[in-house]
Amino acid sequence: MTVTATEICVLTAALLACLIVGSLHLKVNLWLYAMSTLFIALATAAAALEHSETGLFVIAILIALLKSIAIPKFFSWAIDKLHVYRDLGAIIAPPLAMHAAILLFSLSFILTKEIPSPAGPGNGWFGAAGGISLVFTGLLLMLTRRLAISQIFGFLVIENGIYVFALTQTKGMPLMVEMGILLDVLVGVMVSGLLLFKIQKSFEHIDVGQLTQLKEP
Amino acid sequence: MNFFISVTAIPLATVILSLTKLKVEQLRLVVPVMSWLQFGVLTFLSLPALQNNHSFLTFSVDFSIEKIGACFLLLTNFIAAASITHATCFFANEKLVGRGEDPQHEKLYYAACALFVTAMSFVFLSDNLGLLWVSIEATTLFSAALVYFSRDKHSLEATWKYLIICSVGIAFALLGIILIFASSQHGAIAGGSLSLRLLVDHANELQPKLLQFGYIFCLLGFGTKAGVFPLHTWLPDAHSEAPAPASALLSGALLNCALFSICRVTEIIQVSGHSFFATFLPISWGALTALAASFFLIHQVGIKRLWAYSSIENVGIMLVAIGLGSPPLFFFQALNHSLAKVALFLLSGNIIQSAGTKELKQIKGILQVSPSWGITFAAAAAAVTGMPPFGSFVAEWMILSHCGDLVQRIAAGVLLFALALSFIAVSLHVGRILWGKPKHQIAVLPTFSSTLIPLLLCIFSLLAGSTCLPTFFFD
Repeated sequence: MTVTATEICVLTAALLACLIVGSLHLKVNLWLYAMSTLFIALATAAAALEHSETGLFVIAILIALLKSIAIPKFFSWAIDKLHVYRDLGAIIAPPLAMHAAILLFSLSFILTKEIPSPAGPGNGWFGAAGGISLVFTGLLLMLTRRLAISQIFGFLVIENGIYVFALTQTKGMPLMVEMGILLDVLVGVMVSGLLLFKIQKSFEHIDVGQLTQLKEP
Repeated sequence: MNFFISVTAIPLATVILSLTKLKVEQLRLVVPVMSWLQFGVLTFLSLPALQNNHSFLTFSVDFSIEKIGACFLLLTNFIAAASITHATCFFANEKLVGRGEDPQHEKLYYAACALFVTAMSFVFLSDNLGLLWVSIEATTLFSAALVYFSRDKHSLEATWKYLIICSVGIAFALLGIILIFASSQHGAIAGGSLSLRLLVDHANELQPKLLQFGYIFCLLGFGTKAGVFPLHTWLPDAHSEAPAPASALLSGALLNCALFSICRVTEIIQVSGHSFFATFLPISWGALTALAASFFLIHQVGIKRLWAYSSIENVGIMLVAIGLGSPPLFFFQALNHSLAKVALFLLSGNIIQSAGTKELKQIKGILQVSPSWGITFAAAAAAVTGMPPFGSFVAEWMILSHCGDLVQRIAAGVLLFALALSFIAVSLHVGRILWGKPKHQIAVLPTFSSTLIPLLLCIFSLLAGSTCLPTFFFD
């Protein structure tokens, strides 16, 4: 079985994302997220070469610029402004959570074995596994963190996973749709970033575990 | 290009107007006019689709509409225009109770509202599943600004929950859409397609496994956005913390968008011959949702939370209608639910302003405070619970009598029980609100203008139930 450059990049990105779960330092998380996203941009570029599609090149450049540079820069600025550098962690300890993430990484290979490989040449198995693993990692990150900012990181990792899945299973969505999704993610990041500052101002913390005023009687 | 200009021109003008130095008082008069104009423009655009039963009206690549979509488009914009018109007097009264000091918040509200309604319109206009997803996600982002209107701790918490839960949920719907896209690349359509029309036409040739997985993820994702049990946790918080006109929009328009997306995807899989998936799943899940929501209705402390749970119950009923494979039935139930629920939310806004509290225990004697509010409130509550002269009775009756085989009959039984339970619960709560002695000083004097829109909506709901209007949808 041959492994393409796209698949190597995707699997590297998925493993880098697993490392995010292992650290509570927000800046380390952010740096790992940026690296992971950069590999996804590389994977997109590799896929563009394999299928010789120019549309994918545009997407690769946009991902590299927006998701792996602009968004981490924005959050790095927000972390400095909020003076919050460490998450508190929830449910399971980070080292244990990281092992769970790696376990889920291998599990996703079993889960995606049954997915019919994409039409045309090539094998979509490893790509699908990488994508699903990223989704798992993102969900795990959201579960094992307490700060609002880490929840956004978790969402971004899930979004990366879904993008990877689309890239490897369908050879990329239509350009217009991909652009729309990118725009939504950007606006979502801006809106949730603004809310972070509002939460810090009203509650004097950004611990989501303590946001429990609205409850069922 | 003309199509885009005609759909987005008026909302964009509204956004620009609300962000200029125009006074809030002027804005309150201009924005309702703009929203009714937009309703007129969209009616003109979709008129050919309304007259033609089974053909699509194509606007451009990726954008087209058929009859049910056009009905939903008009319903959404009608609800939006009604709620924005009512907002004029709501915000004027808000000042009297000593809230909403900053006019900037209200201007932002109008801008976000225009964008929110446009995003919802595009949900119905998109023929492309990817663009439909983009529109749905955009509705979440824009409506977050509406939920955060009052800028206090509660609204902040509600907004955060809403944004995170819905975004993650919708992300799973994207995964589902990708799977459906992948299923079309296995020989059905060269290069694959996201076009709903093409997917329905080639439904038999789609790769079945991918299609089924895709459908489950779509149901899960859009279901989160529609507030299906047990993914509903964001819904009562967001509906209760948003200002009344925004709650009305969230309940009367946004839920329909999410359910409409489910309906479009269900159509593909029902045509493809895997109908077990597309009937059993939505019907059983819908019945479960209606049942759970009716239990939640019994012990409620907040007036708007009560209506939020009633919306969840109606989402369950509409999901059953979708599972039965009858989009007109789904639309008819949605129409009646939207009309009555919007009237209820708007009136509840008035009552909260007058009573100064959201707590059901503290609100009493509304008939004494204002007979016109009390009577309209009772009528709207009767309409929402499915009392005979109103449209929702006809719709719910049709849904129940549509259920054929064993599973559907069991679901119908569960639905019937849920409907009875919620009827009792809502009647008890409404009775306590209407009668008794008012506990509080009246902060806002009831005016005729504050009853006008809810009263009109109730009359429409009555017309839907007592005239031959339903036959128009069922040809």
